Amino acid sequence: MNILICIKQVPDMESKFKINNEGSWYDRADLAWRMNEYDEYAVEQAVRLKEQVGDADLTVLCIGPDQVKETMKKALAMGCDRGVHVADNDAYQREPIEIASMIADFAKTKNFDIIFTGMQSQDRGSAQVGVMVAELLGIPAITTIVGFAFENGAVQVKRELEGGGKALVNTTTPVLLTCQLGLNTPRYPTLPNIMKAKKKELLTIAPDLSGLGARQETTAFYFPERKGGGIVLEGELPELAEKLIHLLKEKTGVLA
Amino acid sequence: MEFTREIYWNVGHGWTTLAPMYVLLLAALAVFVLGCLQRIKVYRLGQPLDRTDQRGERIKTLLGNVLLQTKVFRVPGAGTAHALFFWCFFTLFIGTSLIVAQADFTDLLFGVKFLKGTFYKFFSLILDLTGLVAIIMLGGLLVRRYLLRPEGLITKRDDALMHGLLLTILVTGFAIEGARMAVTELGTPLAAWSPVGLVVAKMLNGLGEAGLRALHLGLWWFHLLLALVFIAIIPFTKFRHILTTSANSFLADRGPTGKLTTINLEDESIEKFGASVLSDLRWKDIFDADACTLCKRCQDRCPAFATGKPLSPMQVISQIGETAFTNPAANLVDLVGREVIWACTTCLACQDICPASIEHVSKIIEMRRNLVLMEGEFPGEEVMTAMEQTEVNGNPLGMGYASRGDWAETLGIKTLAEDSAVDILYFVGCYASFDKRNIAVAKSFIKLCQAAGVKVGILGKEEKCCGEPMRKMGNEYLYQSLAMETVEIIKGYGIQKIVTTCPHCFNTLAKDYRDFDFPVEVQPHTVFLEQLISAGTLQINAEAFSCTYHDSCYLGRHNNLYEAPRNLIHTAGGNLTEMAKNRDQAFCCSAGGGRIMAEETIGERINVKRVRMAVETGAAQLLSNCPFCLTMFEDGVKGADVEAQLRPKDIAEILAERL
Repeated sequence: MNILICIKQVPDMESKFKINNEGSWYDRADLAWRMNEYDEYAVEQAVRLKEQVGDADLTVLCIGPDQVKETMKKALAMGCDRGVHVADNDAYQREPIEIASMIADFAKTKNFDIIFTGMQSQDRGSAQVGVMVAELLGIPAITTIVGFAFENGAVQVKRELEGGGKALVNTTTPVLLTCQLGLNTPRYPTLPNIMKAKKKELLTIAPDLSGLGARQETTAFYFPERKGGGIVLEGELPELAEKLIHLLKEKTGVLA
Repeated sequence: MEFTREIYWNVGHGWTTLAPMYVLLLAALAVFVLGCLQRIKVYRLGQPLDRTDQRGERIKTLLGNVLLQTKVFRVPGAGTAHALFFWCFFTLFIGTSLIVAQADFTDLLFGVKFLKGTFYKFFSLILDLTGLVAIIMLGGLLVRRYLLRPEGLITKRDDALMHGLLLTILVTGFAIEGARMAVTELGTPLAAWSPVGLVVAKMLNGLGEAGLRALHLGLWWFHLLLALVFIAIIPFTKFRHILTTSANSFLADRGPTGKLTTINLEDESIEKFGASVLSDLRWKDIFDADACTLCKRCQDRCPAFATGKPLSPMQVISQIGETAFTNPAANLVDLVGREVIWACTTCLACQDICPASIEHVSKIIEMRRNLVLMEGEFPGEEVMTAMEQTEVNGNPLGMGYASRGDWAETLGIKTLAEDSAVDILYFVGCYASFDKRNIAVAKSFIKLCQAAGVKVGILGKEEKCCGEPMRKMGNEYLYQSLAMETVEIIKGYGIQKIVTTCPHCFNTLAKDYRDFDFPVEVQPHTVFLEQLISAGTLQINAEAFSCTYHDSCYLGRHNNLYEAPRNLIHTAGGNLTEMAKNRDQAFCCSAGGGRIMAEETIGERINVKRVRMAVETGAAQLLSNCPFCLTMFEDGVKGADVEAQLRPKDIAEILAERL
């Protein structure tokens, strides 16, 4: 089997986000980076599939600047066989169809049986790339899967629907699947696999940017204004009472 | 008249006695040697390890632990009885050897006798009394084991055999002596020099000379046979501890205390990490199992065992031994059990008290290393998440790394990146950087330093977790990446001295980082502050308060620092009431060994149990020196529902309140 897993490097969501100079996106300084959570489910499912069928080749693909290779190494350590890094320093500002086109451009000649992607990225969250790749390749796409089974070329997935409902969907390969939380628990790479990953093929290719053009523009990026919120009072009991009285006097009219 | 006695009296001199005696002895020795060789073959299943360096020191420890029974003596009661029994048994052994030396060598070959005159009188008296004390001690131990039956004490066939054999040897010894004395010494002044023998002689006197002689001869050979059986079965029974436990004093880990071996991750020929089968352990780990006497001191002190977790350090050692001698190919991790392996807090209470110098913790860590590095397994998903958080953000709490120095923003201290000309680098640690409760401790420490005019720098967002919890949880790879980064950054600033408020950071930077060429002086804050106070640079206005003090495992047992924190408490005006378990007997808070990252899901909560011990002192404050302990106690006072009566605090906070 020939399997492609598309992953994205995203900032850790606990990071201190600042807005970039253009005001169009977050600033990249002082951020910690990791693999997009949903892509981890994609990688894990692909590795499990390989463990099940034995004969499978897993290619992990990531678009972005050089630093995304760090995240790709984790996918390789988890069990992907080879990595394809599509070098693009502007990836962060591209719209979903541009990203999808780059992936489809790479995938079109490779005859992948299954393509796994995350259902969306944690930072941009458009949830469009996977579906668009499928469309560009002319293969079916099944989104937000939380269960996966493969037998004799037949794929059965469980989808998560709004309101908690589930749906079982059958299809055959080739297919593109976007993975949702609950699909699996991604493994922690073992040390021998981390070592092996260092020696795995990690190709960097230049994207074919012809025919790609932005049709959207992010004109502003901002954090919601802080509105109210709770206050937790701390301290010894008498002190707490003092604080509370003070607050009630200052902010409310209940003691007036 | 010459004070002496006829050796081989009534037994017969010359070859008729000596030949069968020595044939039997040789047979016993042959069985003994074969038994030893058999066991050595099993020890050799383990990995190589050199434990023959620092021979002078090793021999000193050996003599101290064997002849002085130093470690055995640490636990009164059974320990005292064992020590006294040992000394008596050892004296009797020397006495018997002297008899052999005279009868079968000096007298036989050269006609020289030395067991005579005043020397003989005291020789006789001492052996007589030591025999009596030995019987009393053995009797006491027998009562303890079979009647009192202390909880957790495992009694097996070996124990019955040992008690029975030794007691019979001692009693028959007195019977032989009594029979001989009844015939040869009764009524002579010499009889008084064998008081116990004399009593026996008087009891046996009614048998008449012929009866006494027959009894003596029979018992003499029986006693000899038992003594030889004793020698022969040493390697096959718990008697082997005479050899193995003693040898282990020589072979003991010579520190630094609790330091783990650093795996060479650069070595690409290593394909397996940690221990999943016996042959992954070192030979000493197998030998340890043979040195164990099942005295259960470790189990009695294990915080996991005491709170209903499945871990007993003694059981782990026994299982390793059993596997080695019955099924060496078995999967050790499955056999010992994952819940057992994950339960250890690496508090070192087991190792510290062990009279047999067994290293429990490193074996458990080796099995953890196997689970983490080879299987990607953790005690729970929360631990895996903490590991991943540490990889991404350099702290197990999952806080954004860039905000690590935020707590210090308003305190007027700089990061080394801003100004590296400082007196000390304060290595803050993850909890004091991100956890609200522990930030208060960090702020107190800064306040104290500033009051003493010490210029402090921090690493801010350049600081990462020291790697201690990850390492103790078995993640050597993550630990080493964190360690190497930290070493490089700190060395880059040319720092001379580091102070920590976390004993885990202290222990790691001061001991573990030595393997990465990190020679910088590291001090825990309690020691550093005590020095500032005694140098007069830090003034504390003592103000009376009542408290109890918890020795963190990593300042206490791991680093033997018990007095500096107590001196600080005293300086602050503290009226310290000790908990029953203090200093080297202190009960862990539950958070060591990386357990700070894990949920405690089995049994009673360790921290609550420790808090209850603190409550018993009646003190109003529970002082500690460790962010993990403080976190656990803040949680523990809620769990024990004593929030109103007991306030956990760090010593630095107490001092800062009294500037």
